[in-house]
Amino acid sequence: MSVICKDVKMAFKTAAGSVNVLKGVDFTAPAGMLTMLVGPSGCGKTTLISLIAGLLRGASGSMQVFGHEVSSMSAAMLVPYRLKNIGFIFQQYNLLAGLTASENVAVPLVASGFDWPRALSQGKELLEKLGLGAHTNKLPSQLSGGQQQRVAIARALVHSPKLLLCDEPTAALDGQAGQAVMTLLRELAVAEDRAAIVVTHDPRVYSFADRVVHMEDGLISKVETVPDQKPPVDPHGTSH
Amino acid sequence: MNLVAFKILLHDKAKYVALVLGVSFATLLISQQSAIFHSLMHASTRDILEANQADIWVMKSSVETLDQGYPIAELSVNRVRSIPGVQWAVPYYQSTAQLRTEDGRMKLVQLVGIDDLSMVGAPQEMLIGTLDDFHQPDAIVMDIAGYTNIFPGVEPTVGAIVEIGQRRAVVAGICYIGASWSGMPRVYTRRSLAVSMARETLNPVTYVLARADSKHSPEEVAKKITKATGLKARTRAEFMGDTRTWILKYSGIAENFGITILMGVVIGVAIVGQTFYMFSVENLKQFATLKAIGISNWVILRMIMTQALFVSTIGYCLGIGAANFFFAMTSTQLSGGLRGMFMDPSIFIGSGIFIVLVTLLACVVSVRKVLTVDPAVVFRG
Repeated sequence: MSVICKDVKMAFKTAAGSVNVLKGVDFTAPAGMLTMLVGPSGCGKTTLISLIAGLLRGASGSMQVFGHEVSSMSAAMLVPYRLKNIGFIFQQYNLLAGLTASENVAVPLVASGFDWPRALSQGKELLEKLGLGAHTNKLPSQLSGGQQQRVAIARALVHSPKLLLCDEPTAALDGQAGQAVMTLLRELAVAEDRAAIVVTHDPRVYSFADRVVHMEDGLISKVETVPDQKPPVDPHGTSH
Repeated sequence: MNLVAFKILLHDKAKYVALVLGVSFATLLISQQSAIFHSLMHASTRDILEANQADIWVMKSSVETLDQGYPIAELSVNRVRSIPGVQWAVPYYQSTAQLRTEDGRMKLVQLVGIDDLSMVGAPQEMLIGTLDDFHQPDAIVMDIAGYTNIFPGVEPTVGAIVEIGQRRAVVAGICYIGASWSGMPRVYTRRSLAVSMARETLNPVTYVLARADSKHSPEEVAKKITKATGLKARTRAEFMGDTRTWILKYSGIAENFGITILMGVVIGVAIVGQTFYMFSVENLKQFATLKAIGISNWVILRMIMTQALFVSTIGYCLGIGAANFFFAMTSTQLSGGLRGMFMDPSIFIGSGIFIVLVTLLACVVSVRKVLTVDPAVVFRG
């Protein structure tokens, strides 16, 4: 198992009092599988992946990510932990507007200490693999939604993270582009030494998952294993 | 990551231009007003600056400022000469007088009488004629700005005859003098002639200019002179300081310019601060994304500081350039309120430091927002 959460509880203080968002979640996301976390809005999906990513703190319980106990890490330890181990894909892509596609992809590498030329060349290489070779020097505003999400996928995978966290990656895309993005994610993100968690409430993409974890009102309500109709997992991960 | 910072900054060109213009405007306002203030203060000590051979000024004890010079007996010169440590001492006369041109026009002029023999206190830059021309009968030397003021449209030349204090005077030379506090035309002549033109009856002096010998400091000698003669003796630097302090205290210039400079500061802080704050807030999601990816607060702080320093440097260069251009265009004029205004190197440095500090201050306010942003916002659509 790569991500193991046990009895995770999280409450937010609001003007109306304390709201329990997670009420004792037991969740696992094995390496080599694409785990989908699904459920209605407000059920705690985003809170759970924020906690796993170390973006949110203050939860009780245990959260182990590839052997790291995230809940006991300090804020200073979480920064390099995220940079090294986690790749993010966001609903709104969150690409840096002033940077070209290849520069956006290069950011995690530059932050990890690569020099710009080397990071850029790796970024371009990955974009070419994703079929965006003709768009490497374009700004995000010059790309379609689907292309932007593919750039975001490249950015999330360029530094070969162990865990990929995707928050509603198809929510801003039309059906066809959403399917294409999920196909790509399936092909590139799932590797034997990597876990991928996709938060979604788009039932059309459930078929891309190996496991579907249903959440409801701050608790895991059901775990389904999806019959294997998908391409085999690439043992070498992102293939770069 | 500095390259990323530049690209984020330069991407939104409208905001980048607004930031740079804000800094430029603040720089222009602050440096221009500070330079005018500094130039006026400089001009207020014009005679002391010109008579740079003397390092001690001796005067009546009640005198507080250069233009207040009050006549003292000529004998004072010899009394000063008798003090140990005084290398030399000469008389210096200063007064205002009425000048009348041949066609009957009247002008109030600043009359300066320099020592007939040593010429201490004479103008340092003669444009037409030489210091020897002071020895011609009824000779006066007029500053070029004063000449243009008295004889508008006439090519500056020697030979013009005027009347000062009902006494004939001939323009024997034309000199360049920086702007003075009063702005009046300046007329230099021998002291013997100046007291006559000012219709003084007791052949007085206004100041005794002296120099300390090499074995004594001017401060030491000035104290000795005061003790021995009862007259006030000040070193050159002290007297300049006294004059400037008096002007600051009684003219209201400090308040007027202080308010303008303060306005520059406030406008500068407001424009730069507000624009930079808005810029950072609008880019908050981008910074939150960087934080989520795993970029530390320290790196983000460095990125924002890089942006701030880049903007403040470009803005400062444009603003200081505009201020310099303003002075280059206006300060060379021969008459008018901006004659002799200049930008002292201290203004360049001071306004530069100030602008960088203001931008960094604005930056600190913005940075707080960026550094405290919850990276989890990236998951909130």
